[in-house]
Amino acid sequence: MARSRRRVDTPFLVAGLVTAALLVVMLYYPVGSVLVEAVFADGRLSLEPIRVVLTDSLYFGDLAGVFAGESPLELLRAVLAGEASFGRFGFTAYQAVLSTLLSLAIGLPGAYVLANYEFPGRRTVRSLTLVPFVLPSIMVAAGFAAMFGINGPLNRALSAVGLPTVELMFTLEIILLAHAFYNAPLVVRVVAAAWEGVDTRMVETARSLGASPRRAFLDVVVPQLAPAVLTSTLLVFIFTFMSFPIVLALGGFQLATVEVFLYDRISRLQLEEAAALAVLEAAITLGLTYAYLHYERAQAATRGVAAKSRQRLFARVDLERLAVAGYGIVIAIVFVGPIVSMLLASVLDANGAFTLQYYEFLLDRRDAVVGTQPDVAIRNSLAFAVGTLVLAVPMGVVVALATARDTLSARVVGTLAMLPFAVSGVVVGLGLLQTVVFGVEVFGLQLQVTGAVAIVAAHAVGAYPFVVRTVTPALSSMDDRLVESARALGASRTRALLDIELPLVTPAVAAGAAFAFAISIGEFNSTVVLVEGGDAYTMPVAVQRYLSDRTLGPATAMGSVLLVVTSVSFVVIERLGAYGGIE
Amino acid sequence: MRRRTFIAGAGTAVAATAGCVGYTGGNEGDGVVTVATYESFVDSEESIGPWLKENFEADHDAEIEFTVPSSGINQYIRRKQEGADIDADLFVGLNVDELIRIDDELDEQLFDSIAGDLERSDRVIDELRFDPDDRAIPYDTGYISLVYDEREVEPTTFEDLTDEANRGELITQNAQESDPGLAFLLWTVHEFGADGYLDYWQQLEDNEVRILGSWSDAYNAYTNEAADMVVSYSTDQVYNGDTPRHQVGFLNDQGYAQPEGMARFADAPDADAATDFIEFMLQPEVQGVIAEKNVQFPAVDDAELDDEFASLAHVPPEPVTFGYDELAGNLDGWVDEWARQIVE
Repeated sequence: MARSRRRVDTPFLVAGLVTAALLVVMLYYPVGSVLVEAVFADGRLSLEPIRVVLTDSLYFGDLAGVFAGESPLELLRAVLAGEASFGRFGFTAYQAVLSTLLSLAIGLPGAYVLANYEFPGRRTVRSLTLVPFVLPSIMVAAGFAAMFGINGPLNRALSAVGLPTVELMFTLEIILLAHAFYNAPLVVRVVAAAWEGVDTRMVETARSLGASPRRAFLDVVVPQLAPAVLTSTLLVFIFTFMSFPIVLALGGFQLATVEVFLYDRISRLQLEEAAALAVLEAAITLGLTYAYLHYERAQAATRGVAAKSRQRLFARVDLERLAVAGYGIVIAIVFVGPIVSMLLASVLDANGAFTLQYYEFLLDRRDAVVGTQPDVAIRNSLAFAVGTLVLAVPMGVVVALATARDTLSARVVGTLAMLPFAVSGVVVGLGLLQTVVFGVEVFGLQLQVTGAVAIVAAHAVGAYPFVVRTVTPALSSMDDRLVESARALGASRTRALLDIELPLVTPAVAAGAAFAFAISIGEFNSTVVLVEGGDAYTMPVAVQRYLSDRTLGPATAMGSVLLVVTSVSFVVIERLGAYGGIE
Repeated sequence: MRRRTFIAGAGTAVAATAGCVGYTGGNEGDGVVTVATYESFVDSEESIGPWLKENFEADHDAEIEFTVPSSGINQYIRRKQEGADIDADLFVGLNVDELIRIDDELDEQLFDSIAGDLERSDRVIDELRFDPDDRAIPYDTGYISLVYDEREVEPTTFEDLTDEANRGELITQNAQESDPGLAFLLWTVHEFGADGYLDYWQQLEDNEVRILGSWSDAYNAYTNEAADMVVSYSTDQVYNGDTPRHQVGFLNDQGYAQPEGMARFADAPDADAATDFIEFMLQPEVQGVIAEKNVQFPAVDDAELDDEFASLAHVPPEPVTFGYDELAGNLDGWVDEWARQIVE
């Protein structure tokens, strides 16, 4: 995989420097200002805060004793007797593994259907897969509690057909379902992009050489999908490992994740413990990322790309199409039901009567002298999302190119690139607050970074790992000889990228870009800090501000507006992309 | 729908009294008073912030600006610790636990004592005062109570909550992140003592108490009939009317008071105008409007309250609460022990 990198083009250099500068100002420095607490005690360098957390049974259960120096035999005995506990970290990892498996189970069939079948509205459905990703937890909680409540639509449907009802509230199962609601669409999106790029000629070749459909699938299709499946597995694990508000919104404190305690320690300004927790969380997620990158490089298979042909879904009825119909029912229960319930929650008062009062409230708020205006929030959200897309895609592509090699440094840079996902959002928020918002003295100048530009920069930093993660596997599996030939024929590195590489990885770039847009729309922790009294607030910030300890109505109405505006813009973007030749 | 009717009525009453808000004396500054506060003070359905701004500015030579810091009071504690500017004059919406945190974290003064500068500070109800140093002046209070469905349950004592008949029927909030959740926890400490509250919670756990995150998480679950009792506010019927599913329950005839205070920053750029605003907030008419729009209870003994509000907002026969001195040094320990017991 030798790439000639001696001569670096100016556009590359500029993009690289801008990326590095943004990362330092909006991520490394702010996050460092918080995490430094983990390695200081009484003003001296020390690992004491981390040791305290490692040896606390609240966080590590029986493992805490081993960290404290006790014999591991006792732990082994407990494990064998089935009575070992691993504290909050153990539970957090456990629920993340289950959430990831469920997300894959729901997401992979979706990717298959989207990539292999043609049906009316396929593109629209694909556009809308990202909608769950941006929804504030208050909306998802409202939708899930209504849909899966004891008297909710699911249970009424079950009893109508004579089946026993299910009690899901306050259980681990409903948390897993909510995590799948957020993350299965991610699996669909990333894997479908890879599936659409599978070289069908290779499948045909295998078949013509006598391979059974199953053999051809296992030997030809699976290796080409593996990087995308594993990428999404990694992302889903990280996201559900860091899960916070939804766990306590539906499950309960007995099911608290590490992030719940981290949030508490930050709110109570117990910053040493908070920093130690954040460092350990990041160590786990980044460790997994590193291991994954090792695998990804080893897997990278050279391949070409050929256009995909799809079967018509409604052409006939067969076993496979019946399975697809069954899958449709699952989707209706896990996705459509909660979303419809969310929208309903915004037009029902606490006694279940129909009301439009919360939308009247939003309309009235447009003229508010003081406070948050919904129309401003909509405008800001869309503008920031477009800005993020424009910034994050080049950032992601540059980092992807820099790391699409199998070297130690590429793996380290690739691992660090995931930092925005690996560090708790509340830590990033606090870091931004106490550095760029409070002001930093640079060469005697007091510098402050707040407002719209800062928010777009923070969103781009939070979003570019998606572009990296979707584009890198596609780049590493591309035939290097294509670029080398172009370079040999005199094309500059930038020219080769624009003319050869990018067109070949377009589906991956488009998936990354769509995620960048979605991350920006949904981002809360950094945005709310960087708004800082100004009018650069976004839709999720407005949802939070309309939420009070007295009534849920206005927040669910604003959340519904967010849902509708986001859905429409995803569809519009996809259509524009189709015009621009990005399928 | 009932709430809207009621608020419309209150609006007329406000318009009638607004002209005769009597207080005009004090210090006439010419600056801008920056008020740091929480979201629903400016962004709820009938938020009090805009009304205060309009009516204060009408007879004072000062402008009110609101700011909603993303991390509440922590924003200013960190600013003080990091040596950054405090760009606000006063903070509105201070709880006793936050006051304790301020004193734990900071050696210097974040707020200064102002009771001596206020004409009406002696009208503040004694039981609501939570700051022995008179930095935080209460402007309203809530009472934590149960909201329950009278067709299903009839909770009147703490023992009722651990009764087998009520298994799985109580929803409360995480005391680490939620104000009503913390108040309910402290209420149990008040009832059973620091030595006994964890035993009581063990019984609650055995009876499958549901501990969700925030107030909205808990109330959302209650609205969807996941259980028949929820820890909430005694003003519940102002929003939802006097219906079977919205009955207010005071355990042992008690309710846990949660007064909210306002305090002037020691570095307030416009200290005089800030003091004027605090004085304004304590006027009898203004106190009535704050209570009704904020859906809380007044903090002074001579507030003018609308009759319909008073009939829907219930005051417990015996309000209980912990003051600063009882909580300082104990609060974190009580909450931490509770959290460990629940998750382990």
